[in-house]
Amino acid sequence: MFQQILIAALFSMLQFGTPILIAGLGGVISENSGVVNLALEGIMRMGGFFAVVGAYYTGNPWLGLALGIGMGAVMGLLAAWVTVSWRGDQVVYGVAVNVFALGGMTYLLQLFFNTTGHSPPVSSFSSGVVISPTFAQGLLVFLVVGLTYAVVSWSMARMKRSNAKKTLILTAVIGLPLGIAFSFFAPAREVVFGAFNKQTIFVYFALILPFLLHFLLYQTKWGLRIRAVGENPKAADTLGINIYVIRYACVILSYVFGAIAGASMSIGQLDIFDNHMPAGKGFIALAAMIFGKWKPLGTLAAVLFFTLAGVAGDLIQGLSTTYPVLASIPRGWLNAFPYMLTLLALAGFVGRAVPPAADGIPYEKGEK
Amino acid sequence: MEPVIELKGITKQFPAVLANDHIDMSIRKKEVFAIVGENGAGKTTLMNIIYGLYQPDSGKILIRGKETRINGPHQAIAEGIGMVHQHFMLVPVLTVAENIVLGIEPTKAGLVMDMDRARKEVAEFSQKYGMPIDPDARVEYLPVGMQQRVEIIKALFRGAEILILDEPTAVLTPLEREGLFLTINALIEQGKTVIFISHKLNEVMAIADRIAVLRGGRVMGVVDSKETSEAQLARMMVGRDVVLDIAKNPQKLGELVLEVQDLRAKNERGLDAVKGISFHLRRGEILGIAGVEGNGQTELIRVLTGMAKAESGKVLVNRKEMTGATVKSLRRAGIAHIPQDRLRTGLILPFNISENIVLGMHAEPPFARGIVQQRAEVNRFAKEKEDEFDVRPRDITVKAKSLSGGNQQKVIIAREVSSGPEVMIAAQPTRGLDIGATEFVHRKLLEERDKGKAVLLQSLELEEILSLSDRVMVMYGGEIVGCFETKTTNEDELAHYMLGLKRQEHVKA
Ligand SMILES: Nc1ncnc2c1ncn2[C@@H]1O[C@H](COP(=O)(O)OP(=O)(O)OP(=O)(O)O)[C@@H](O)[C@H]1O
Ligand SMILES: [Mg+2]
Repeated sequence: MFQQILIAALFSMLQFGTPILIAGLGGVISENSGVVNLALEGIMRMGGFFAVVGAYYTGNPWLGLALGIGMGAVMGLLAAWVTVSWRGDQVVYGVAVNVFALGGMTYLLQLFFNTTGHSPPVSSFSSGVVISPTFAQGLLVFLVVGLTYAVVSWSMARMKRSNAKKTLILTAVIGLPLGIAFSFFAPAREVVFGAFNKQTIFVYFALILPFLLHFLLYQTKWGLRIRAVGENPKAADTLGINIYVIRYACVILSYVFGAIAGASMSIGQLDIFDNHMPAGKGFIALAAMIFGKWKPLGTLAAVLFFTLAGVAGDLIQGLSTTYPVLASIPRGWLNAFPYMLTLLALAGFVGRAVPPAADGIPYEKGEK
Repeated sequence: MEPVIELKGITKQFPAVLANDHIDMSIRKKEVFAIVGENGAGKTTLMNIIYGLYQPDSGKILIRGKETRINGPHQAIAEGIGMVHQHFMLVPVLTVAENIVLGIEPTKAGLVMDMDRARKEVAEFSQKYGMPIDPDARVEYLPVGMQQRVEIIKALFRGAEILILDEPTAVLTPLEREGLFLTINALIEQGKTVIFISHKLNEVMAIADRIAVLRGGRVMGVVDSKETSEAQLARMMVGRDVVLDIAKNPQKLGELVLEVQDLRAKNERGLDAVKGISFHLRRGEILGIAGVEGNGQTELIRVLTGMAKAESGKVLVNRKEMTGATVKSLRRAGIAHIPQDRLRTGLILPFNISENIVLGMHAEPPFARGIVQQRAEVNRFAKEKEDEFDVRPRDITVKAKSLSGGNQQKVIIAREVSSGPEVMIAAQPTRGLDIGATEFVHRKLLEERDKGKAVLLQSLELEEILSLSDRVMVMYGGEIVGCFETKTTNEDELAHYMLGLKRQEHVKA
């Protein structure tokens, strides 16, 4: 009984968290290079819509996704052109994209599908990926090792001892045995199997992405350059680093992530575009990015926290049949729970959130 | 010796000024070539052109005899040119090693950073040049002298043969400066060439082989350091004789205006920085604070000006307790502040000169009526002050960020002096200023004193303190370890106290 509720909760947690995490990581990559991206909400909406359009006309969800990504890339290029090359105000531009996406997609919904509600069903990824118990076992090991890695690298940074090699060794020594031990523990395996069976490919993407991005930002030369450009572009410039190339790349990638996040809702969880999409998830993604201190693994932790709070409501409702007292908690309060936690957390539990020093400031060559 | 860099007719026009006007110059291999000139003479602009940060409007650059177009820093680096900028170009949150290898990172498989190798290379490299440094230290926690070391290693690490140092000594303590000079000599020994910019003529005379003097964007002459004198250089720079020693009028001591009792404060990292300081300041007096950087002077001034809170103790202005008062009420009470960090606390860089000049007075008549700004009045006032304080260019619409360092300082001083203070707190007011401007600031501070105002002068330059103050107190380890009548002391004596070798039993300050 409890296991069933847990599986259901985890299942919806993964669903709820996937678009937020992907979009939040889009924010991370852009802002680490020093460009504020407030357009995530709008770009999710556009990506989600065009993914449906693509899938509708080709009958192939992959091509739909490709169209969504293409749309994101084009919008990203435009954003970079306006805010990086022409030094337009990044906040104003982001708000403009959100407003445009709101009205524009409503209009296009009318134009393409002759409705203001939602599009007709299209071929999608929503049936999910059927997995085998063995796969679930492997997945469990991956999850434990990944979480260990996040915790280890966070505590190393806390102790000002960041060191890539030591982090890896510690993770292997602690995480691997732990993960393998867990994977022979049947209930854990069943929970993972239940939570992941028939999830969409986007969920897997979202699980790998924070680690990929962490690797990119902190282990590669491109990451070092991105962070340098976000902190002190002038210094990077004097070393011959091309700030424009880096910011363009990061902004475009950011918009592509936003578009994928949108597609993960429209042709991932569902098979339609609904005119309410993405219903504020882009803004939660921004909050997660800030909460996660502009770091990929931090953002992962923030999203876990938010979604946990989000499904807490479902969990409590599920349990209220066995424990009637719980039924007396008003549903609205439970719905507001994640947002209240967010406010509290941002109000001081995580310490000061310091963005990259040059975040939001356009760079002009040859300026003092 | 063959020239490594030749400049021919380099010209650069900025919207408001002709920064470089047909500059011809040739720099030889293995020499220390100094460039001096007033604030705004165009030194930094010229160096930025050599480093590829600016493109000249006309003119040619020859490197090792070959005409070269330097399109950007990457090309300058490829030509073996390295530059340590007047305002450091470091990424504070990154480590020393990360800052140094940025852009030329050692990698495994072409993409993954090989930090172990970077660390090792940086450590070896810094040993080789006699500038040891911890590769894992975060740059933001390093003292300025060390940050400069990182900058120099950064340039050498890229294979710089020609090293440009733009006012490297402005931020250094005397000891750090000695270290830098040793480094420069070592570099020359190894066949490198150094271009050295400074406002301190004695430094230039000591370290340079040849000296170029710039004025108003033009080369006034290039002289051999052995065949010139400080006075001659000063005359070439300014176009008139400069009074290096200013006469002080006899003191007319008035009543008490500022009293500090057993003040304690922490620094930004939460460590005790000011440990029980007491002193008093009277009208008609300049009280100097001497000391090696980092002995609590900055924190003391931050507390006195309301920018930080004291842990305990008292501050009285005109016998009224003002401990913990806000910046605004302290200003109302007559405290003016020339901050040591003009870029961060002294100016709002994207604002223009007129806006910066009325800052702090902008909300009161005659500059505002109710909530409406009186633009005409602001502009009239700014123009008047620009003339009085000789701010160049004479254009109140120029943004503070595109002024040269010295002119930025003049804007601040114009504002603070004209706010009509009772107590002027000046922290390193002549850092980075040319001799003309330094003389000007010194005269202004003495004028304030003669008008019956009180001045608290903090400086790392002993000479400055000795020539201006009536009394000097020395800070060491967050305490005042000695206080002297200027007439009865000298550099040697003060130095002993500054280094903590001596302290007075009962300091009466
Ligand atoms: N980016 C810019 N835009 C507009 N004007 C500029 C810019 N950079 C410099 N200037 C102007 O060009 C002139 C020369 O400035 P520069 O910084 O080269 O002087 P400097 O000799 O280095 O002075 P300092 O000793 O104060 O550093 C100044 O009048 C300055 O206001
Ligand atoms: Mg300069």
